[in-house]
Amino acid sequence: MTQARTAILYAPGTNCHEETAAAIELAGGKAELVLLKDLIGGECRLDDYQAAVVPGGFSYGDHLGAGRIFATMLVARLRDQLVRFLDSRKPLLGICNGYQVLTEAGILPGRTPGARTMALLENQSARFEDRKVRMIVSSEKCVWTEGLAGQVLDMPSAHGEGRPLFCASGPSSTTRAVFHYGDEHGRATMDYPGNPNGSPGAVAGITDESGLVLGLMPHPERASQLAHYSQDGLTIFQNLVKWLKQ
Amino acid sequence: MSIHSIYTISQDDPEARNWLSFFQRRGYTNLTNVRIERVVWLEGSINLERLMPLFINPLYQVPAETSQLDPQQGPIVEIAYRPAVTDPETPSILAGAHALGEDGLQFARLSRRYQFSGLDEAEAKGLSARFLYNKVVERIRDPHENVTSLRPSGKPDPVGKVSLRGLTDDDLMALSRERSWYAPLSQMKVIQAHELERGRSYTDAEIEILVQSWSDHCYHTTWKSLGLLKKLMAATREINHPLVVSSFTDNAGGMDFADGWVVTIKGETHNFPSSIAPFGGIATKHGGVIRDTLGFGKGAYPIGGTTVMGTLDPRLAEKDVPAGALHPELIVSESIRATAYYMNPMGIPMMHPIYRIHPGYAKCFALGHSLGLLPKKYVHKEQPQPGDMAVLFGGSTGRDGVHGATASSAAMTGETLEKESAAVQIGHPITERRFTTAIPFLRDSECIRTITDLGAGGISCAVGEMGADTGVEIDLDAVPLKDHSLTAWEILLSESQERMLMAVPPEKLEEAQGILRRFEVDSCILGHFTHTGRYVAKWQGETVVDLNMVFLWRSCPIDPTPTAPPERHLVPVKIAEPHTRDDWDRAIQGVLTHYHCADQSPAGTRYDSTVQGRTAVGPYAGKNHRMPTNIYVSAPLRGKPNGIITTLAFNPFYGEIDPAVMARLMMFEAITKAVVAGSNYHEMVLCDNFYTPRVRPDTAFELVEMVETIASLSVELGVPFISGKDSSSGTFESGGRRIDVPPTLAVATMGRVLDVKAIVTKDFKQAGNRLLLLGRYDAEVLGGTVYADSHGQRGDRLFDAYDAISMQVQWDYLLELHAQQRYVSASAIAEGGILLRLFEGAFGSGLGARVDLHGIPASRRDGLLFGEFIGACLLEVSPDFEIPAHLAGIPHHFLGQVTAQPRLTLVERETVIWEESVSRLAENWSETFREVVK
Repeated sequence: MTQARTAILYAPGTNCHEETAAAIELAGGKAELVLLKDLIGGECRLDDYQAAVVPGGFSYGDHLGAGRIFATMLVARLRDQLVRFLDSRKPLLGICNGYQVLTEAGILPGRTPGARTMALLENQSARFEDRKVRMIVSSEKCVWTEGLAGQVLDMPSAHGEGRPLFCASGPSSTTRAVFHYGDEHGRATMDYPGNPNGSPGAVAGITDESGLVLGLMPHPERASQLAHYSQDGLTIFQNLVKWLKQ
Repeated sequence: MSIHSIYTISQDDPEARNWLSFFQRRGYTNLTNVRIERVVWLEGSINLERLMPLFINPLYQVPAETSQLDPQQGPIVEIAYRPAVTDPETPSILAGAHALGEDGLQFARLSRRYQFSGLDEAEAKGLSARFLYNKVVERIRDPHENVTSLRPSGKPDPVGKVSLRGLTDDDLMALSRERSWYAPLSQMKVIQAHELERGRSYTDAEIEILVQSWSDHCYHTTWKSLGLLKKLMAATREINHPLVVSSFTDNAGGMDFADGWVVTIKGETHNFPSSIAPFGGIATKHGGVIRDTLGFGKGAYPIGGTTVMGTLDPRLAEKDVPAGALHPELIVSESIRATAYYMNPMGIPMMHPIYRIHPGYAKCFALGHSLGLLPKKYVHKEQPQPGDMAVLFGGSTGRDGVHGATASSAAMTGETLEKESAAVQIGHPITERRFTTAIPFLRDSECIRTITDLGAGGISCAVGEMGADTGVEIDLDAVPLKDHSLTAWEILLSESQERMLMAVPPEKLEEAQGILRRFEVDSCILGHFTHTGRYVAKWQGETVVDLNMVFLWRSCPIDPTPTAPPERHLVPVKIAEPHTRDDWDRAIQGVLTHYHCADQSPAGTRYDSTVQGRTAVGPYAGKNHRMPTNIYVSAPLRGKPNGIITTLAFNPFYGEIDPAVMARLMMFEAITKAVVAGSNYHEMVLCDNFYTPRVRPDTAFELVEMVETIASLSVELGVPFISGKDSSSGTFESGGRRIDVPPTLAVATMGRVLDVKAIVTKDFKQAGNRLLLLGRYDAEVLGGTVYADSHGQRGDRLFDAYDAISMQVQWDYLLELHAQQRYVSASAIAEGGILLRLFEGAFGSGLGARVDLHGIPASRRDGLLFGEFIGACLLEVSPDFEIPAHLAGIPHHFLGQVTAQPRLTLVERETVIWEESVSRLAENWSETFREVVK
């Protein structure tokens, strides 16, 4: 059997695709950079991949809203492929701008392309925040964090719009917080800058009800190589590789 | 064609809140609220409902067909791009609409409506003009304007003719000023004589190209006249360093790295535009120096950047700011916003964010570096061949930056702010990001014969330089315009950002265009290279330029630059030594809260320092990730331990006392910072950036002194300069007053590191360890120190204790200790002296330090703590550390020890003379900059 392939989707303005692919390769997986334009043009298909990551950056310059245009492309031009991808229970990860894309596309938390139920708003500080954060892993079921419940993962965080806003009715029944920003004692925190964006409930990343789709603001790929100050992020990609091998 | 508009309010708008407090802090105390309404303008036959998801997220945005702002709540100012200018977002909107199947959308624009409650109409407009828009490309929209089309429109001026025949010297100079050429008489006369020779007058495009190409900014006439670049190049040749693969001849310098890769470095200043329009100036400072990396060899990939700012003190009272200069607080806060705006979307990690002040920086110092990475086989450009295509790619060409190069070369006056604002460019990082992704693909598929960026002088300079040895013919009608009112010379000279030029072999053209399309980079075939030796440009059926390349590049007269030693009026430092605990407290707080020593992370944490996943040690580290490291370490090749370390030294106070000694000290400081972290100076290269006042005999003398000093010291140390840049325009004139920048030199190092994990940072590691001052010190010398500045003094003498040999002996010793892992934390002494290092080491670790001032012979205790002993280091060593017998000649002094208690304690024998908790000290240390940038 050929090795499962993970697509790293990128578009103009995406700028974390290479290190994300490198992290997956380091975890023992196989990653391929896939240009969104090539997917739309039919040069390649999502169906040919067993997992996908939307990495960080400023896709389309974040014009009209962070992740908005990338999400529009996904929903309007690739809806069928996306639905098939989700229906066939393939893991999907959105990091930073990728998380913004998945929420703008309605994939997180509701798995319904085109139906937005949460948004990631400008940081409470109204500025871009480059920080090192502590991510407390919850016990929510999620393929990306399996076996990590209760651990605290150190990784960088760098974004201007990361404060989640859930549907007026509050976090919907489909929203599951997988990561919380933690303080030095390992407790969820609302204190700035440990919680760099003012996220209510200190939520740093969420999964959907299937536990297959993960979105998070901080960057596990920047805490994966031996050269990095922490390798805690690698575990997330190792979980993907483990899952794909099952 | 019908026009639709959507007015959107965000229910939760931190940006509006931020502007409110920004304006209130700047004296608009009547202002009670700011609301922002964003408007999308759409032209075409479209189904608006279907497009809504693109413009509105109903979770937090409320759309309407008309404005939702209640005019009763205060004046409204609507800001939009000028009709002739295309919005940067337009292509994204059209792409999004296309994805939604709305191909009927013809054009789109955006505008922003600001409502200022509590202000009157005039105040609102004044505030907007000052802070919210750039007159060159934007405007305040008249609310009653009848919009019939959104598409850019405008009519260019016809081609003009210029004849210099029969003009007297006075006439020539008057013309030079009137046209903003700022060309000296000698150049004007050569151009005048050439007109007779060739027997026809000039088109405006031709004469603009000539004065542009010969400006100090493009041609470096001052440096050529003083023979300075030659000196540096000769020094680097003499060193003949085996790792140097490219120096001074390309857009950056290159050093062999590992596994067939080369790393590059370049530093570039953008002082003039940043002084008159800081947001645009700083954004394009970064954009420009990044393109120098992209335009190195056959295209390098940017892997790191810096921002270094020297301004007046942002805490100056409004009345003390020279008339005609912007308030430094605005320059600093706008520069921070601009660095974040440009660097973050570019996805380039911030290596060194550095902010300094000096009363001479009325015209600010705005430096940025760019680090690059490329395969060794693409290090050298080729000559374009006749028949090669000249391909222009990236952004469209607009009115921004016309005359930027000539204006940069001139002194700045109180009137400049008004007159030359057109010289400031507008930066759009998404455009640059697109070709940053594409260039490695173009390079690796051998599409690039040569490549360069469009910077000062725009198309005019880039094409002229690339075709200098062959000849070139271009068609200006091919250039995509964002402003349709541009005439030929303006298209040639426009300094619109985010544009690159490459020569492509004809058989590779199709492939190159395919790659550019794939990454959504706009391009055009500007023309082709010829064998005629002529520079020919056509526009609307006319030949608007036909210049002889030899005349263009070999005829610029270089005026001699007389030099004479300056008079300096220096006064020795006179500070009473602290005695009481309160004295010590004031002295220590004065240094820790000084602008140069204080926590600058409120600015630095706005820049992404870890993007690309290459960062091993970023600008901040330690327990709470806020301790400045003063180093940056990258691991460029994923999965490999090999690293690149960079450090910087820049000190405006020293230059005022003695420019030549300052220059030596900057080299020693920058290299020592890298060596003490564990990097071998034998595998290191340097980059210099000078900023000096406008050329006069005394300032030219100082410049020569500095360059000669670093050239000869580099040879003695065997550490070569491989790249650099100079600006001799640091003079501000206002109301008969002249303000010169201090002689300024920033030295950057770029060194190889075998294993990034072996790098030692300055945070303390273990209570009980001993603190060792390694190297020379002199407690009597306080000239140029932060301590002296905190007493309003400068002094007359710098600490200058090393020559090349003694410095090398000490570095070799440090490297030996490092190799044996004999020290666990380390920092080079610089601004703030030993005291700042003790504080930072403690702050970064949660530990403390106890220092016995009696253990070290020193005439002044304060001199020992605050002296800036460039070359010396503070090391943390184990309690049983012993000085190797053969190295007893290197001064070693044990200062005290690391403590578990997070306190700094100064004792004399057993008596505590001062003590404070680190957290308490950190509060004040953190406050200085937060006050400045909040």
